[in-house]
Amino acid sequence: MTIPFEILLIEDNEGDVEMTRRAFRDIQPACNLSVVNDGAEALDFLNKQKNFDGAPTPSLMLLDLNMPRMGGLEFLENVKTDAALKVVPVVMFTSSQSPGDIRNCYDHHASAYVVKPFSGKEFTKALQDIVHFWTSLGQLPQVV
Amino acid sequence: MAQALRAEDFFQAQMRQASGQEVTPNILIVDDRKENLLATEKVLRPLYANIFKAASGNEALSLLLRHRFAVVLLDVQMPEMDGFETAMLMQEHESMHGVPIIFVTAISKEEKYASQAAEIGAVDYIFKPINPDILKSKVKVYLDIYMQHEQIMKLNAVLQQSNEELERFAYICSHDMQEPVRMMNSYAGLLEEQSANVLDAESRKYLHQIISNAQRMQKMIQDILTFSRVGREEIKAERVDVNDIAREVLAEFEDVIKKTGAHIHYNDLPVLQTSPTLMRVLLQNLVGNALKFQDGRQPPEITVSAERVENGWRFAVRDNGIGIDPRFHDRIFTIFQRLHRKEDYPGTGIGLSTCRKFIRLCGGDIWFESAPGQGATFFFNLPQGASHDDTL
Repeated sequence: MTIPFEILLIEDNEGDVEMTRRAFRDIQPACNLSVVNDGAEALDFLNKQKNFDGAPTPSLMLLDLNMPRMGGLEFLENVKTDAALKVVPVVMFTSSQSPGDIRNCYDHHASAYVVKPFSGKEFTKALQDIVHFWTSLGQLPQVV
Repeated sequence: MAQALRAEDFFQAQMRQASGQEVTPNILIVDDRKENLLATEKVLRPLYANIFKAASGNEALSLLLRHRFAVVLLDVQMPEMDGFETAMLMQEHESMHGVPIIFVTAISKEEKYASQAAEIGAVDYIFKPINPDILKSKVKVYLDIYMQHEQIMKLNAVLQQSNEELERFAYICSHDMQEPVRMMNSYAGLLEEQSANVLDAESRKYLHQIISNAQRMQKMIQDILTFSRVGREEIKAERVDVNDIAREVLAEFEDVIKKTGAHIHYNDLPVLQTSPTLMRVLLQNLVGNALKFQDGRQPPEITVSAERVENGWRFAVRDNGIGIDPRFHDRIFTIFQRLHRKEDYPGTGIGLSTCRKFIRLCGGDIWFESAPGQGATFFFNLPQGASHDDTL
């Protein structure tokens, strides 16, 4: 594929956003990373409304769980009942290891659940592995 | 100490509050003869209680739907439905669970009636003609018991609520505290990696301090999370082969076992109906401690065994480590209590308290036998219901 993969990161923590951007500098194949800070903003992005006129449709989303305004679960509820958006895989990327949270996310049709690793190195490696899986091993749906 | 006192004050205040909101207890008198009802009511009136009167078993049963009673006085000889039959039907009501029934009867004082009444669940018996003093003092005893019970139930509810709040607090704290610690560790790590050649030895040492402390804090938070999860999450029992759990736990300690040349023995551990998480938490902590608390002069020798006891199983984890002074027998299971400096034996002081909390929730207990320098054996028992097939 020649067009870069479009990835949407939904994350409120500055530090994580920065580390994710940093990781994506080196990730192959090259991806176009967009960042929004909560679920409500993500819905605007996906619907290309408010400030997101002309925003790309992502092939994959990375979603945090605890965020202000609209958290990960509520966002999943919205996106997984939307006929057009529900095909886009959502990978949970969160620090929670609670069995309840894990279960809830899969209950809400998350495609995968990855716990943010504790060290910066492992964090980068995790993102590399996620991108590698979805772009090289797994098949992503065509989105318009 | 100051905190312990405050907790006690809190407890006392709750006690006073709980007993302050007293509700007047209800007494139910069932007799088919109006004059008997009135006579009994007159005797009991000085007792601080609401008195309800029913002229038949059916009337009594319909009162049960609307009221909770502290004690029931039931005439045995009544037309249609006699006292025994009424009592049996009453017992089917949930609100009658544990409510004492006193049979009032004029019929013969023969043994067989007494035992029939006892079978139905009567706790007491009064013969006609009624001696007012005896009737009054008997009923008073049951009212007192009822009031005490109510008070305990109220206090329990208060305690349960504050416990739940505490658990929730611990969980949320730990959960939200993980974020900043992870950030500190990640960024200090990135700095170490990226700027190692720009920094002098001292600065690198400082960076290392940040990282190792962040990691220690992360470990503590994780342990607090585990501790607070015990009791919050439902404990599910399933068929557990403890040998499998032991194998998994040993695999986790593979590095330490190799490094120290430890020998860990276990065989013929039972297959039980229990929570696999419980067994994992206990074996992880006890085997982990047995490996850790060693003086390094000889390789650790650890034996995990289980034996059938009267009402379940008793497990033992024995080691040849540094041992524990028995005077620490209680402190060692208290959260955040540590007997060693972290430089000597690192740890968070949460592991054994998690073990105790978990095993007690499952109806068991944990204790140890040891002396300094002579190793330690930690025991825990796990009750197993007779209905379970323990040896599957």
